[in-house]
Amino acid sequence: MSLTDSTIHDLGYRRYDGEREGARGAFRALFWQGFRALFGVGRPIKTKAVPVFVSVVTMLPALASVAASGATQGQLPITYANVIGAQALLFLLFSAAQAPEMLCRDQHHRVLPLLFTRDVTRTHYALARLLALFTAMFLVALAPLLILYIGEIGVAKDPGATFAKMGNKLGPVLLFATLLAWVMSTVSAFLSSLTARRAYATAAVIGGFLGTVVISQGLQDLAGMSEAATKMLDPIETLRTTAMQLFGETTRWMELTPPPPVWVHVTELAALGLVAAAALVWRVRRVSV
Amino acid sequence: MTVAAPLITARSLTRRYGAVTALDALTVAIEPGITGLVGANGAGKSTFVKILLGIVDPSEGDAEVMGYDVVRERANIRALVGYMPEHDCLPPDMSATEFVSFMARCSGLPVTAARERTAEVLRHVGLFEERYRPMGGYSTGMAQRVKLAQALVHDPRLLILDEPTNGLDPEGRDEMLALVSRTGREFGISVLVSSHLLGELERICERIVLIEQGRLLRAEQVGALTSETATLVVELDGDEAALAAFVARVSAAGLLVQAERQRVLVELPDTAAPAALDAAYDAVRDAAAMSDTGVLRLERRRGHLQDLFTGAGA
Repeated sequence: MSLTDSTIHDLGYRRYDGEREGARGAFRALFWQGFRALFGVGRPIKTKAVPVFVSVVTMLPALASVAASGATQGQLPITYANVIGAQALLFLLFSAAQAPEMLCRDQHHRVLPLLFTRDVTRTHYALARLLALFTAMFLVALAPLLILYIGEIGVAKDPGATFAKMGNKLGPVLLFATLLAWVMSTVSAFLSSLTARRAYATAAVIGGFLGTVVISQGLQDLAGMSEAATKMLDPIETLRTTAMQLFGETTRWMELTPPPPVWVHVTELAALGLVAAAALVWRVRRVSV
Repeated sequence: MTVAAPLITARSLTRRYGAVTALDALTVAIEPGITGLVGANGAGKSTFVKILLGIVDPSEGDAEVMGYDVVRERANIRALVGYMPEHDCLPPDMSATEFVSFMARCSGLPVTAARERTAEVLRHVGLFEERYRPMGGYSTGMAQRVKLAQALVHDPRLLILDEPTNGLDPEGRDEMLALVSRTGREFGISVLVSSHLLGELERICERIVLIEQGRLLRAEQVGALTSETATLVVELDGDEAALAAFVARVSAAGLLVQAERQRVLVELPDTAAPAALDAAYDAVRDAAAMSDTGVLRLERRRGHLQDLFTGAGA
């Protein structure tokens, strides 16, 4: 390299006349930045702890289940709803820890005034962040279900025939991952948007979901309401029941007290998420910066 | 929009927070160039700035930035304006590069352009190898530079800087002010810079807008504000006896003198007459020479915020 090549030239200030993607580009940036933050990508190691822990720990039972089924030549059936239902609290941990990671940090570090003076409207901000959380949760919830699904085909004696037979199971896999991600992401995002303090938000999310268990139990024990009705007040239990129904599995209590049909549950969960999403947008629109 | 249109216009701009009136029927027109927005803490500077940026709605009145209404045409203003807030706004675990390019993308710049612009503006504000480190470890001076860089990254036509020298040491202040001045003069970007210190703004601003308790006190060219005092500040080195001798000699020359330890204020006579002014300067010089004191600093005192407040209040 010659000497002239290595000289640093101060080109002065240069105008930018290139393309501006406007609100669309800003939405994409917010989505990706949020999505990466949810998994701790490009961030210090401790921010990766929860996402990695949850992803690994929820996949292990799925792998074990596939292994058991394989070892017993399919004698031991793979029970999707059982496996995924047992992981519900871990998914809750993910959303309770990671939703504030994204939403509270922007408030805590006071980044919002910078964003809202750019091509980011408050509604776009809320929706981009929600979409990031939803996508992350969807992938985390989908992973163990996909392991079960692919595993079931893989360990079968005749994978081809099993695949043909199991085509109808992919729908429930996708629908359930969507429902779980939708309910948990919207509610967590809304509760996180209420405070700039991460610890409070995490407590609010966990408290919010587990509080419904208490209410549901209370109504059942004290008010003597039917189990099928009170369980609908508890989103996590509703998710579990929905999984049972979607994957055609059953438990003893479901046989004793038949729950409402699956479409009722799906509608309920979709509506709950919709209300929480609307509340999130409402809150972000009036948060003072 | 005509050529002569002002950069910013505000008409009866009012903002109330409950019972508190932060901005009280402010009417002002600001032309392109570097403008200082001066007022004590709580005078309504930040509220004014936030209304211009469209993140606070006015209670009454209206304002325009580059011909666009701040409420109805907010979206048009966004690409044209860069904002450096008064408060901290840097996530500690992000690096400056990451943060500034994220901000660029939030202004709609494509990924590659955002990266290039980030490298350029960080170089402009004087941040080099540090830019890859997490911002949590930055000094206040570095943090202020990053805040300025993020305001510049999308190439705005107007920079709104809220108290950019806050928390900086004297050297840091000078550097920041030089940077702001350079941005305004060399880059051709208009600047609205707020501060509670008139002294630092008069050095770099072409115009000063002075507000107090949400009202406009004055809006003037810097020259008009700062040529007003006829006080010569003399800083001296020497023992008490020497200083007393100096004061005595200057008084003897017929000038009004006020001594404050090492600092002596000399009231100049008719500042419009160059001959009288020269004579006064000569008297001060001779007095210093004969009283065995060393002159450390000799300058005309410039207008101070305090003087303006008392002047306007009278």
